[in-house]
Amino acid sequence: MNADEPTRQALVALLPRLRRFARVLTGNLADADDVVQTSLEKAMLNWDQWQPGTRLDSWMFRIARNTWIDDRRRAHNRAGHDDISAMIDLAGDDGVALVEADDAARKVRAAVDRLPPEQRDVVALVMLEEFSYRDAAEALDLPIGTVMSRLSRAKAALAKVLAMPEGMVQ
Amino acid sequence: MNPAFSDAQLAAFLDGRLADEQLAAAIEAAINADPALAERAMTLAEGGDDIASQAVRDAFAPVLEAPVPPRLTEALAAPVGAEVVNLADRRDQTRALPQPANDTGSGWRWPQFAGLAASLALGVMIGGPLLGGREGGAGGDPGALLLASAEVSAMLDAAPSGQAQDLAALGQGEVVLTFRNTAGALCRQFTITAPGGGATSDALACAAKGGDWQVEAFGRRAAPAGEMKLAGGDAAVGVVAAVDEQIAGDPLVGSEELAELKRK
Repeated sequence: MNADEPTRQALVALLPRLRRFARVLTGNLADADDVVQTSLEKAMLNWDQWQPGTRLDSWMFRIARNTWIDDRRRAHNRAGHDDISAMIDLAGDDGVALVEADDAARKVRAAVDRLPPEQRDVVALVMLEEFSYRDAAEALDLPIGTVMSRLSRAKAALAKVLAMPEGMVQ
Repeated sequence: MNPAFSDAQLAAFLDGRLADEQLAAAIEAAINADPALAERAMTLAEGGDDIASQAVRDAFAPVLEAPVPPRLTEALAAPVGAEVVNLADRRDQTRALPQPANDTGSGWRWPQFAGLAASLALGVMIGGPLLGGREGGAGGDPGALLLASAEVSAMLDAAPSGQAQDLAALGQGEVVLTFRNTAGALCRQFTITAPGGGATSDALACAAKGGDWQVEAFGRRAAPAGEMKLAGGDAAVGVVAAVDEQIAGDPLVGSEELAELKRK
């Protein structure tokens, strides 16, 4: 069974947030769009697994996060361990100069991109999407205390960047 | 028993201000084990004016405002599975064609499709330049669709199988199979991949009177997702079925293929 028209519309409306979520996970917009596209295709193929009445955004974020984890696993096999985070950092602002031109914002994004992967999905859901700890824990299949702890570490790392006067980062 | 953490300790833990790693780990474990403590922590977290979250939201706001690439909305618009048109079905509707065993059920076949102008439908799926709206063959067959793209025709006329060809605005093409059909006409299965590595379409064309190529079937590939793999290689199922239906004998390869192309 395919998604009905209102749901399709809801998914279209969700696309910008899904891109932002994937951008935080992947570190660059090009990879983010690949993750989003694969996630949408998975969602359309597995449409009968979505339970009406539950959060569509949560379901999509979960699919996107699993897609990203799969991709990283594959990239890991291809490229060897430490290259990955370096690749993600370097790729941080590629190809989207117009979108990511603002300097202060770029520093914050760079700080988020430097967070360990297991903190980035928590940051994306709780800080950006303003999910409750409980909803984030459910979407990410983590215990609530672990979500809190990962977010706490992320906040500590970001605070160092945010506290620095303009121009002092790095 | 959980140690009794103070509100100040919990708040520091939540905000990332707890320097004591061991204490942080203990609080995390305690919250995971104790729903009441989790509730208490969540209540404490409410209503905090969170400067960091706001800064992160601001930093990523441009992504929300950026135009969404068409390929993402298209991923939602496309029906699941391959879209397939089999023109042989239309030309020969009186003959019941066997459904391919691996038909996904979502292909378009002519009985459902007869009301639509074929050139319009094909143009939508594979791009206008390929067919150019030329419907109706020189041989007077009302169902025939002749190739209108000079680049694709040139590829089918001369290119050997297995070599990628530049098709200008259409992208890249490659002939994958050459054979004679049951009526003795030379037929070629080929792929076209949209510029920039976009969608791949499969098609089958057979030589018609007057040197034209007549499109027999084509389909856009279903996007490969997860472990799902279409049978018959990756090609659109309807095209694979049309090849199976028409092929007589073995595919033509090597020097034999080139010789047969010359006497098309």
